[in-house]
Amino acid sequence: MADLVFPELPSIGPLLARGVAGSIGAGRGARPVPGRAAIVASHRQDIARLSAYARVCGFTLRDHVPPTWLHVLTFPLQAALMAERDFPYALAGLVHASNSMMLHRPVSVGEELALVVRAGNARPHRKGALFDLLGEVRGRGGETVWTGTSSYLALGGKVAGASAPAEAEPAASEVALPAISQQWRLPADLGRQYAAVSGDVNPIHLNALTARVFGFKRPIIHGMWTHARVIAALEPRLPDAYTVDVEFKRPILLPGKAGFATDGSSFAVTNRDGKPYLTGSITPA
Amino acid sequence: MPQSPGASLRNAVIVGGNRTPFVKSGGAYAAASNQDMLTAAIDGLVARFGLAGQKVDEVVAGAVLKHTRDFNLTRESVLGSALDPHTPAVDLQQACGTGLEAVIYAANKIRLGQATTAIAGGVDSASDAPIVVKEGLRRALLKASYARKPLDRVKAFTAVRPADLAPVPPAVVEPRTGLSMGESQAQTTAKWGITRQAQDELALASHRNLARAWDSGFFDDLVTPYLKVAKDKILRPETTIEALGKLRPVFGGQDGTMTAGNSTALTDGAAVVLLAEESYAREHHWPVLARVVDAQVAASDYVTGNEDLLLAGARAIPELLERNGLGLDDFTYIEIHEAFASTVLATLAALEQNGTGTVDRAKLNVHGSSLAAGHPFAATGGRIVATLAKMLAEKGAGSKGLISICAAGGMAVTAILEAV
Repeated sequence: MADLVFPELPSIGPLLARGVAGSIGAGRGARPVPGRAAIVASHRQDIARLSAYARVCGFTLRDHVPPTWLHVLTFPLQAALMAERDFPYALAGLVHASNSMMLHRPVSVGEELALVVRAGNARPHRKGALFDLLGEVRGRGGETVWTGTSSYLALGGKVAGASAPAEAEPAASEVALPAISQQWRLPADLGRQYAAVSGDVNPIHLNALTARVFGFKRPIIHGMWTHARVIAALEPRLPDAYTVDVEFKRPILLPGKAGFATDGSSFAVTNRDGKPYLTGSITPA
Repeated sequence: MPQSPGASLRNAVIVGGNRTPFVKSGGAYAAASNQDMLTAAIDGLVARFGLAGQKVDEVVAGAVLKHTRDFNLTRESVLGSALDPHTPAVDLQQACGTGLEAVIYAANKIRLGQATTAIAGGVDSASDAPIVVKEGLRRALLKASYARKPLDRVKAFTAVRPADLAPVPPAVVEPRTGLSMGESQAQTTAKWGITRQAQDELALASHRNLARAWDSGFFDDLVTPYLKVAKDKILRPETTIEALGKLRPVFGGQDGTMTAGNSTALTDGAAVVLLAEESYAREHHWPVLARVVDAQVAASDYVTGNEDLLLAGARAIPELLERNGLGLDDFTYIEIHEAFASTVLATLAALEQNGTGTVDRAKLNVHGSSLAAGHPFAATGGRIVATLAKMLAEKGAGSKGLISICAAGGMAVTAILEAV
């Protein structure tokens, strides 16, 4: 199975369109996740784009880039893998369930990077199938500087060769967090703003009309915006290398408000009733 | 006559500095805000001196071109930095004197015992400058925001005329004379008979001196790369007197002598300096580069045309020298900010005319100054203080340096540093 090698990051819009179109009527579900990789061997980071990303997510524009920016760089490769004809799960209707990334060392905006993404780890879930997109970013010397795991839930999806019952959901780790210390106001056009800087033009984020087609009464913000906003809030206190794990609990409708609470290592983004939109934790590496 | 600073005061010393490389506005830092650059400069200093998570007693900085959202620019930058969030901060603004005035503020607090450690500096972006709406639209917007009824809100805009909708870009124009700084300086240049040749020679020396300092590694522990830039980008190491001589005048009309080569370019960048009480610095094995000896601010009567906008340094320096019992010959290095080459040359002429003395040109701006480095207004003071303190430390204890920085509003900020 040949890897997908791109000279530069592919544009996501056509990939999403192809992925959605390709999913219609395709016999889905029991095929294995293809093991090919999607690769950009050398990527020069764009300061203007990083700056726009930093503005939308609340980061200071530094010489060192946020780890969520490195996720954004790998996202087109995720889309490319999922848009392939033999990918077993329909792109429309995938739910980003959780995300984990490790920053191995500070990464400068001046560094040329190699980006690699693979799919794998398909496993049953009580609502369908879970699978991971595993990203890796390497520095000029070939050393790994960032690794990421995006876990997606294919609602109603099946896992090839799996007959065992879906594993029970792990008990939610209950961390008692202090009261919210920040309130974020998410404007109605935030999904379009984030789409412009991340390239993720999934229609559920763009406007009410397109969101309604997919069952949302209003557009929802990208989970990775909320994740990035958390990292921006914690940014000054973060160590040089760390792992950050998040779970996306429920979508944030736009426009909206969200509260942010943290004890320094665990954090939550919550609604007015204190129910979490997102929970997670940071672990120094 | 004020007393010479007494022995009861503590010593405030310059420990080190950090700045971004300086770049032309609209260039490599076009996407960066003042807060981005100031945070980057502070974090570079934090990294250099192991201050992550540590409380500094106060951070003082400012910017000349400032957005209203930046009302707490320095505190916001501290909160975005790796410093302990218990570090308080203050914004200070005195046009191009901001950076040096910030150092003086910090040094005074340390000398009085109100602080033991401090960071001082400044930042400016002419790329990300605020655009202001015209007065008619501004009044309408304010009126509308106070209106209780929707109809009143609409009515508020009936007074707005189409011309009010055009934005007002920022301009460095003196409110009372209506003259830009360059136009004002062109009058000074003509009045003092400063020749084109002399200006171009000073500009050439600035580029050569700064280039030599970069080549020798002098700035390796004073500058941290930012956004793919590792070195000052305005610097032209290869420029020649012939190349400078070919440039057209930009101020003073067709017969003017001031060009883009002997005037500073609009620049983006940030610079900060770490100060500490001397014994504290020594206990922490920090470098003790130079102490802040004294400072003096002065202003000129430029509005009537009696005096020159940018020559207040020639008023401040004699006061400063007299109070400290010093003459120009007592200084190893003299730093006169190069707003324009002719500002420096006219200041030297004015110091001679008023009997202060003659500046030995071999001591002047030895590692280059703003013509070659660029001049992000509020960042220039921090650049000069860190550079001079390091030069004095290399020269040895007792060597003294004098700084003079001219500022809008006909002001100048001056200070004396001495290696300890």
